[in-house]
Amino acid sequence: MMTLADGGIDLFIPKVYDIVWSLIILVIVALFFYKFFMPKFNAIFDERAEKIEGNISKAKQAKDDADKAKKKYEDQLNQARVDASKITDDARTEATKIISEAHTRADSEAAQIAANAQRSIASQQQQAMVSLKGQVGTLATALAGKILGAKLQDGDVQQGMLDQMIDGLDKTSEKK
Amino acid sequence: MDIITLAEVAGNLSVIGYGLATIGPGIGLGILFGKAMESTARQPEMSGKIQTIMFIGLALVELLGLLGFVALLIK
Amino acid sequence: MMETVGTSMLLAAGAGPELPTVNDFLPPEILFQGTPFAINRIILIRLVATVVLLLVLGITAARAKLIPGRWQGLIEYGIDFVRNNVVYETMGELRGRRYVPMIATLFFTIFIFNLFGIIPGANMAATATVTMPLVFAIWVLVQYWIAACREKGFFRYIRDECFTPGVPWPIYILLAPIQLIELLIIRPASLTIRLFANMISGHLVLATCLAFAQYWMVEAANKFVGIPVGGIWFLGGFVMTLFEAFIAFLQAYVFAILATVYINLSYPDE
Repeated sequence: MMTLADGGIDLFIPKVYDIVWSLIILVIVALFFYKFFMPKFNAIFDERAEKIEGNISKAKQAKDDADKAKKKYEDQLNQARVDASKITDDARTEATKIISEAHTRADSEAAQIAANAQRSIASQQQQAMVSLKGQVGTLATALAGKILGAKLQDGDVQQGMLDQMIDGLDKTSEKK
Repeated sequence: MDIITLAEVAGNLSVIGYGLATIGPGIGLGILFGKAMESTARQPEMSGKIQTIMFIGLALVELLGLLGFVALLIK
Repeated sequence: MMETVGTSMLLAAGAGPELPTVNDFLPPEILFQGTPFAINRIILIRLVATVVLLLVLGITAARAKLIPGRWQGLIEYGIDFVRNNVVYETMGELRGRRYVPMIATLFFTIFIFNLFGIIPGANMAATATVTMPLVFAIWVLVQYWIAACREKGFFRYIRDECFTPGVPWPIYILLAPIQLIELLIIRPASLTIRLFANMISGHLVLATCLAFAQYWMVEAANKFVGIPVGGIWFLGGFVMTLFEAFIAFLQAYVFAILATVYINLSYPDE
């Protein structure tokens, strides 16, 4: 009857030729892995890592550049904006200054004109008053002289009457 | 097989021995995998490490069963 | 054991199915008989596996490009797996760098050799004699002793391992020999037996399933019973084939990670 374990112990006794072939195969395989397979793939892994790293650094460089350019443009834009606002501000202040200057000039001129007019009016009034005083005096004197005649020879009375008349004249002019 | 023999037991006694020898490693494997699962559930982030240790344990437990097998072969 | 089941159920059919035996693992020499370079079936498979391994990985490496295709991506995933998940995870990058080629050799070689257990025509793992795993294990043994002598010195390593500080001295009588045996024999023996026994059991189970499938479907007299039963056996064989593929990977992984752990144990603790 056949059983599983016929000659089972033989399984665990290595044979000489088996050892020889196993060793030969092990040496060949190990040499293959040590000298060719692993170095080759390590080189590929390293190269790949390098390339990926290089790409990453390149991308980083590009990003930095872009950031820098963007910052530059933004700075320029801000500068321009500041300049523009400054210019408009300047213009506005200039304009207001001009306007106010014009205002003051016009005001002063107007005031001057008005003052001049006032003065000339006053002087004319004065003149008129003086001339009127003289004329009214003489006219009244003459008139009174004619009316009163000799009665008015006396200087004092003459003077008193004159003053009275002028007062009256003043009052009437004031009443008007 | 003659008439007097009612039940014949044929085969190899060492097979029974091997059957007995698998009980221990069977229990061991059960505990091993159960505990590994438990600890992986507790700390999923450690699963790689746990798995490595589990396979080392598996190898050691498995050896016991295989020793029984070898004993069966050798007799 | 299966034979009993087979004969009692199939008295009508002549001979039982061709069940696998351990003699499958002790094939006769077919070339160079009697010389140290004799070749039997398993060694032939091993040579073929080596050639396949070298050709596939060699061509992949020779045509490797910076931007990987699908196949190269798969191989690179394997390398990455060995490097990060096995070596660096266990020993850290600084120590591990030196051992990556070794562990990669172990992992890829054992994986491909194991896979030949389910490749039609071979149907026998190239690691399915005790010698191939033993040679791998002895390589690991030599590596961790070298690492220990370089990093700790021979005597300090022996002292640390066999006379662990903090243990009462009578224990040393028991502990020291056990530790020494562990360092010298148990570690490589366990690596060897694990891989080898897995391959044997895988082959036996798979071949048993397929032998029964063939027997029931083709040779059984009663086709009405034979076809469904054979179908179930074939389904079992199919599932076992997939399981063997998984085992091929798992054993390669376990071998690689245990080798890493053993080497790492030779280094002094930080």
